[in-house]
Amino acid sequence: MAVFESPKPRINHSMLSQYISRAICFVGRVEKVHPTGKSFTLSDGEGKSASVELNEPLDEELSGVVEVVGVVSNKGAIMASAYNMLREDQGIPFDLELYNEALKVIHEYPQHYPFELATSG
Amino acid sequence: MFTLHSYKLSFNMNNMLTKGAIEDLTKGSNNLPNPILQLVNIRKIDGGSGPARFRLMMSDGQHSMSSFMLSAQLNPMAEDNRLAPNCICQLKRNVTNVLKDGRHVVVILDMEVVKSADEVAGKIGEPTPYVEGTMNKGPSREFGGKKAMPLSAMPSTPGGSSKVVPIASLNPYQSKWTIRARVTNKSGIRTWSNSRGDGKLFSMEIVDESGEIRVTAFTQEVDKFYSIIETGKVFYISKGSLKIANKQYSSLKNDYEMTLNGESTIIPCEDTQDVPMVQCNFISIADLEAREKDAILDVIGVCKSVADVTRLTTKNNREVSKRTLNLMDQSGKLVEVTLWGEEAENFDGSGQPILAIKGAKLSDYGGRSLSASFSSTVMVNPDIPEAYKLRGWYDQEGHSMDGQSLTEARTGGGGGGNTNWKTLTDIKTEHLGHGDKADYFSCIATIVYIRKENCLYQACPSQDCSKKVVDQQNGMFRCEKCDKEFPNFKYRLILSANIADYGDNQWVTCFQESAEAILGQNAAYLGQLKDSNEAAFEEIFQQANFHTFIFRNRVKLETYNDESRIKATVMEVKPVDHKEYSKRLIMNIRKMAATQ
Repeated sequence: MAVFESPKPRINHSMLSQYISRAICFVGRVEKVHPTGKSFTLSDGEGKSASVELNEPLDEELSGVVEVVGVVSNKGAIMASAYNMLREDQGIPFDLELYNEALKVIHEYPQHYPFELATSG
Repeated sequence: MFTLHSYKLSFNMNNMLTKGAIEDLTKGSNNLPNPILQLVNIRKIDGGSGPARFRLMMSDGQHSMSSFMLSAQLNPMAEDNRLAPNCICQLKRNVTNVLKDGRHVVVILDMEVVKSADEVAGKIGEPTPYVEGTMNKGPSREFGGKKAMPLSAMPSTPGGSSKVVPIASLNPYQSKWTIRARVTNKSGIRTWSNSRGDGKLFSMEIVDESGEIRVTAFTQEVDKFYSIIETGKVFYISKGSLKIANKQYSSLKNDYEMTLNGESTIIPCEDTQDVPMVQCNFISIADLEAREKDAILDVIGVCKSVADVTRLTTKNNREVSKRTLNLMDQSGKLVEVTLWGEEAENFDGSGQPILAIKGAKLSDYGGRSLSASFSSTVMVNPDIPEAYKLRGWYDQEGHSMDGQSLTEARTGGGGGGNTNWKTLTDIKTEHLGHGDKADYFSCIATIVYIRKENCLYQACPSQDCSKKVVDQQNGMFRCEKCDKEFPNFKYRLILSANIADYGDNQWVTCFQESAEAILGQNAAYLGQLKDSNEAAFEEIFQQANFHTFIFRNRVKLETYNDESRIKATVMEVKPVDHKEYSKRLIMNIRKMAATQ
């Protein structure tokens, strides 16, 4: 899938609309999981919620902070290709607000964080 | 539709006004600062020989009150019709005066129109006139009624020279006034002699509830008043001359300054309870970041932590006492404050007192920090409302907050001490270690090479002795320091490693504790492995490579036979606290961006 061929910008909810049809990486805290297990919502470091949709239903309990890689749909939902639960039970909590601050810095100074130029060709 | 629209506007507006503000202002309680009120009516009062005065009726949606006087300096607002009935205003600075008959008058010293009259549909709510305990009820109290307040009762009338006016209302266009103020500062008599003759002057700073002003007396007035004036005492002063302030000589907040003349009088005042001890314009600690270095300003905060007093020798070989402490306020930010001299020695920081400093100097040391210079006024637990507010906030919330220190940019936060964060390039560019004493700093770096040859040595087995022992070749080992021989020894580590960050690399020496932390094994085990299993021994060094730590280092320039080299020793190794590190990086980025 093309999703795994390019670097994916890390974004939060307020940036979703600028990345429609593009592959992104979204980190947020699990809010609600749909009973079918095929979608869930994540709240980002600013407290705003994004909807995540999966190809196959979840086969495990989802909780805490999750990192999702996928493509943004026209409606602003994330069509996930892969997800990664950040285990906080190891004693190191994930500071979502701090992550959001770092995100703002990366987007404010793209000249210092040229992640997307990493793709060749 | 029009009616619906104006109802909607009015409904939203109703929430704009500060409920209870009329009562609060009239009583002078000041529990609702910067209240938002609606102007109901405004009336011009002829000022006779002085400027006109404007009397306002204000409402908070619940109550209205007609005894609001506009300070003369705000007259333009009324004259160009910014203050039209129904406009919404926010009071920024005001003082409530009590007249002899017990009535209260609110003098407005600073105000902003937040919604002009044409943006407001009409009167908000159904305000009823606020009635004070001692007042008559009834229509005669209402604005516009026949029995309007007599002019002589107005505190700021030119004719009523026996009535007291606020310092903030003084201006060059009125001379027949009396103020009641406390002297906060009195200078000595300065004399001069030039081609025009001899002269002398003294100056003082005075303060009342409304503000402060600088006062100067020349020649004859020096003789008249110098001995009467005492710092800390309150006086009635009348009929001085006002002129535009020369900001070069004073940092007081007043556009004008006063000169005493032949008509001026100064009388001691016994009733001093309302006159503040000092006038401060406190800046929130969080706002210090935006101010320029060397600015003189006032701060107040809780003394969250305090260091011991130290003595240092100045360039002039004078000994001076110094003490640093951390001040925190409701903004959640902390700043390091340095006290000097007697203030440093006498300061008692126990119990986290409230500390207020008037005229503190802002420095860019460590980002932002404050110093109480010899002309600053330091007050511990001052009897002012801001202090009580701080105490209340601190006891409820503040005490459990860590706060974010502004004195942190290159000196990291962390427990009482300030961490001196550097990068490895700084060692060369800042010539660390070149001074008389060694320099200490912390950095985040990655191990890129560890020398495994000669990393272990045989040391004296005695408890507190680490001296290298001499192998007597007869099964005994001699320690020169303990002057004893032992049948055994203990292995100790001296590791030579190279650490690197994005900018540079540095050879460092690590002793026992830090070496063991880096290798993840204790010296005894390593010694054993070295003798028995070379491969396993080497593996440990391989595994230790490319780990990142916080290194606390000591650097000193050492000279051996005409060759000078920086010697760096690792004092402590700690795992990286990513959260703290990220916060620090983001803060540094923001600071750098702000100074672009």
